[in-house]
Amino acid sequence: MLSYNFKYELKILLRSRWIQLLSIVLLLLFGFSALNGKQKVEKRKKDITAAHDEVKENDAMMLKLLDSVERGMEVSASRWTIPTSPMAVGNYHPRVAAMEPQPMAFMATGQADLFTHYVKPKVTGDDVALNFTEMTSPVQLLFGSFDLAFVIVYLLPLLIIAFSYNVLSSEKESGSLRLLAAQPIGIRTWVLQKLGLRFFWLSILVVGSLIVVFLVLDLNPFAQFNLFLGLLGLILVYMLFWFALAFLVNLWTGSSSKNAVALIGVWVLFVLLVPSVLNQLGNTLYPMPSRTLMINEMRSLKAEATKKQDEILDNFLRDHPEYAINDTTQFRGFYHRYMASQKIIKEELSPLVNSYEEQLQKQQEWIGLFKWISPAIITQESLNQMAGTSTGDYENFRNQVVDFAGTWREHFMPFLYNNTVFSQADYPNLPSFQFKPKTHSSSQAIPILFLVSLGLFGLGFVVSKGIKKGGILETN
Amino acid sequence: MIITNNLTKLYGEQTALDHLNLSVKEGEIYCLLGANGAGKTTTINLLLGFIEPTSGSAFINQLNVQESQRDTKRFLAYIPENLMLYPSLTAVENLDYFSGIAGKTLSTSALKELLQEAGLQPEAFDKRISTFSKGMRQKVGIAIALAKDAKALLLDEPTSGLDPQASNEFGSLLQKLRTKGVATLMATHDLFRAKEVATHIGIMKDGQLKQQFTADDISLSELEKAYLDTVEYKELAL
Repeated sequence: MLSYNFKYELKILLRSRWIQLLSIVLLLLFGFSALNGKQKVEKRKKDITAAHDEVKENDAMMLKLLDSVERGMEVSASRWTIPTSPMAVGNYHPRVAAMEPQPMAFMATGQADLFTHYVKPKVTGDDVALNFTEMTSPVQLLFGSFDLAFVIVYLLPLLIIAFSYNVLSSEKESGSLRLLAAQPIGIRTWVLQKLGLRFFWLSILVVGSLIVVFLVLDLNPFAQFNLFLGLLGLILVYMLFWFALAFLVNLWTGSSSKNAVALIGVWVLFVLLVPSVLNQLGNTLYPMPSRTLMINEMRSLKAEATKKQDEILDNFLRDHPEYAINDTTQFRGFYHRYMASQKIIKEELSPLVNSYEEQLQKQQEWIGLFKWISPAIITQESLNQMAGTSTGDYENFRNQVVDFAGTWREHFMPFLYNNTVFSQADYPNLPSFQFKPKTHSSSQAIPILFLVSLGLFGLGFVVSKGIKKGGILETN
Repeated sequence: MIITNNLTKLYGEQTALDHLNLSVKEGEIYCLLGANGAGKTTTINLLLGFIEPTSGSAFINQLNVQESQRDTKRFLAYIPENLMLYPSLTAVENLDYFSGIAGKTLSTSALKELLQEAGLQPEAFDKRISTFSKGMRQKVGIAIALAKDAKALLLDEPTSGLDPQASNEFGSLLQKLRTKGVATLMATHDLFRAKEVATHIGIMKDGQLKQQFTADDISLSELEKAYLDTVEYKELAL
């Protein structure tokens, strides 16, 4: 039976123009979404390059100024910006801490439209004040990005539903099922083969369209072959899940209209409702503390610290005798007091900042616990991880930037407290940021979705056995 | 070849078929007559295994239909009232598909021979079924039966909606199958066609087989009277 189904299913699909229509639709959807993603990645790269170029230009200016000062020449610059002051270098010549896009970043916007991809931590800024948010149109955020992940997670299931909802019911409604059922075949096996063949042809079209789109847009899919294989694997098991659902619904319900409503209902549930309900529940169960409260608290702490700066500085120098010993002038100015108080402020603020981190962590744990309810969530999450745009990736970037901000600050402390000037010779020793992408543990989504799909196929067989004999031939 | 023993089907309190005992031997054409709801289609559905009997049993080629559904279907061909095939496939392709899934692999020339034997015009062989009339589709159905080398043929109102010429051609095809030893059970309202093609005729009412005749032993007018008496046809009531 399989060889005949294989031979004639393709003919029927070709003659009904399904294959042609799907090819065009997939090429358009994949093409447009991949192009969108590519443009976003290019803009991101351009922004990072521009930031690096700006630093290079500033550095060139700084080195010129240093050279002039070191030669004993007069320089026409504000006193507090002359780079012989370590604080001037730390504040006015920061390095770029950039999160370079990963090779598959074009695939999923993920958190990329919410967070910035480069930060310039200054020596006087505090970690919590580092701004990682991106200026984005709220309308764009409302509707989301038309990226490849959107097409795969949201639109592909709709195409599968349109392609498979009436495999059995159309035979019932046209009357050909009675002739089929009079043959020595099992109707369930026949439905399974028909859906299996449609899955096979759609998979060919999806993989083919993706390769064509990637090649046309110069996104060489074979450069990151393992990632590309992972992507295909994920798409195929996600498609298999929807075909398994279609199998279950085809055998369970009756008429084409009921099947369509049932499948669309499941789509709404898994793709729209579950993710938004989980998100809402996460926010309700683990609400974030007020940001205004945190800012007020931060300001009052800073004001307190300012009042006690002399005392704080004395304590700081007691803790760091190396700074007091090496300095013959013992000059103490604004920055000495300021930098000494920063540590105190950071310590005082940490419970408040940690409460944010903890609540965010709890929200993420909550979603992580229940994400398995919806295949759409785990597929989206896996795609984001492949693209390097997941929450974890941005969290990793933020942590690296905070670490680097500390390194940057600490680099200038000996200069400041020893009252030594910054010179051209010190320039090559300035710390620089090197982003280390997060390595995700291998995705569990593929085996889990595969097992769920097998379970649904099995359930389909069990459920259809429970249907009264002959019921499968009746149009409900 | 086709045997039913006290075959009974109840839908709740309603009796669709009541202890039907029937036997159609090789080379016989048994026509079941009866008004709508008499139990003709229920009998065919039970013989096809589409529904389960409440009691009794049915046999095709000595195999119990309920116990060996798939095996009995190897010997069985079925043509419903409206034979629906795949409209985007041609006659040859439809025949190839249905005979293929039934386990018969045939060459294109063999398929065309079968279609010719079923009376289909050669120019229609490679045309899509969507362009076919009901009579032409019935011929493809007969070709499927021929391809399967069916021992038993079940027909449910096969001539309804056919024009007289097509109906006559269909009758001739049944005679051809009869000479090959096929046992045919045909449910129909068409008394004239039944008298013409059948070897045996039964009249059903309320799920019961009320009368049986050998076709040669009864004239058309006698059959008509017997039918009307059995189904209690009341002209005034209409």
